[in-house]
Amino acid sequence: MRDVAILGVGMLPFGRRDEDSLMDMLAYASLKALDDAGLGDDTVDAVYVANMGGGMLQHQASIASSLVDRLSLLPAAAETIENGPASGASAVKNGVLAIASGHYDTVLVAGGEKMREVTGWRATDFVATMTHPTAEYPYGITLPGMAGMFTRLYMEKHGVTREHLLAISLKNQEMGTRNPFAHVEMALDREGIFDSPHAVVNNPVSADPLHLYDLCPVSDGAAALVLCTVEAAKKRGKPYVVVAGFGQATDTHTLAERDDPTDLKAVSLAAQKAFAMAKLKPSDVHVAELHDAFTILEIAESEHVGFFKKGEGGKAAVAGKTRLGGQIPINLSGGLKARGHPVGATGVAQMVDIVWQLRHELPENRQVKNAQVGLTVNFGGFGNNVLCFILRRVEP
Amino acid sequence: MKDEIALTAYKCKKCGKLHYPFHDRCLECRGREFDKVKPQGNAKLLTYTAIFNLPWGFDQRFLILGVAEFQNQVKAMGQIKAESTDKLKVGMPVKPSWEPIRVQNGEDVYGLKFEPM
Ligand SMILES: [Zn+2]
Repeated sequence: MRDVAILGVGMLPFGRRDEDSLMDMLAYASLKALDDAGLGDDTVDAVYVANMGGGMLQHQASIASSLVDRLSLLPAAAETIENGPASGASAVKNGVLAIASGHYDTVLVAGGEKMREVTGWRATDFVATMTHPTAEYPYGITLPGMAGMFTRLYMEKHGVTREHLLAISLKNQEMGTRNPFAHVEMALDREGIFDSPHAVVNNPVSADPLHLYDLCPVSDGAAALVLCTVEAAKKRGKPYVVVAGFGQATDTHTLAERDDPTDLKAVSLAAQKAFAMAKLKPSDVHVAELHDAFTILEIAESEHVGFFKKGEGGKAAVAGKTRLGGQIPINLSGGLKARGHPVGATGVAQMVDIVWQLRHELPENRQVKNAQVGLTVNFGGFGNNVLCFILRRVEP
Repeated sequence: MKDEIALTAYKCKKCGKLHYPFHDRCLECRGREFDKVKPQGNAKLLTYTAIFNLPWGFDQRFLILGVAEFQNQVKAMGQIKAESTDKLKVGMPVKPSWEPIRVQNGEDVYGLKFEPM
């Protein structure tokens, strides 16, 4: 297996992008990544596009073929990867394997989703279609509902409190105000959403015990990156980022069939595989982007990847250990919570943010000083398909 | 409401592991033969939530959902018959029934409902 480097990255600001079609967003993000990679007018060998809802929301199929056409990357190989909210990291993984195998030398990966052109209840239904088609979906369960049931169990078993969840909302929305790519750029006021009588109105229950500000927004957006061989990256004469390790694991489709539903086995396994491949351990990681579609997930994932012991993640967040300057800064982009969660784009966007961290290109109020190793978790379904990536900076 | 809970669980003939929903191979031993098992008795509520942002197809303000375990260990999701989550508790007994859970293409879809006891 050959080592794989990330040669270029690009992202569009997430949010409500009424003026852009799904294809526009994928094309713009891809051009940014191709330019950042310094490919000029060169082409790539293959294109992997991460997208979950083009078929359902835009009534469009074969999106990757459409993207190579728009970008005049013909005759590059092209595939669309649909793996729910983990589509992004899945597409990157396929690109990495293609280069590692020696079959291709340069691969473009683009992830995008356009969710705001349908009504909120259509978007909620679209995301819910990844629940079990007979044992869950018909009952009206939504992903926030799954997260609500999970949170109730996690609170009972691991002592997570609303105070812990609040620490995640406050941190991530504050980071969103520092990220020009974030969907939500509004800092939250603790009193307004938690302590005062107005909190009930400002921050109502959304999926009990989760409240409105425990949930990520519904967003449009796209992100892209260019993968290449380490030899090609070296030639640029600049520090670059390599894929040090990755892991992926699946779990039962329904939450009810897991012996201990609070145990996110796919997260633990994906992280263990990634650490083993990278020959690193959790304490070697300097910065992480975790899949906080719901605040509880940032806490649970921070424990399952091994940053904290079970039951300690929430307390660590309250103590500031996951803030910039803390023991392990998490979601300095604002996470899904503030950057937004255009489902197919998320896994790619997480890696774009980590690449910026490892290239030391972010402004001081978001940059982890001298960051060398970064980690991402992209969480599909309700934890039934999870990918973990470990990226590392290399000096030329 | 129907008399029978029209839900089937599957017990592996080789190792005895109970499954719901159906898997073509046993999660434990990959066996392919199963005995059909009907959920029995009342159930115990394992977790629950009330959702206020409903998906397309539900014309109501909120929906209370939960997962419960029957006396013979079958675990399944269902809608909970309650006005709020105030009186719900993890571990409380609930009475199962088979009732319309939604309307699709103008027809009732039947499924599990749990009534707190
Ligand atoms: Zn078996």
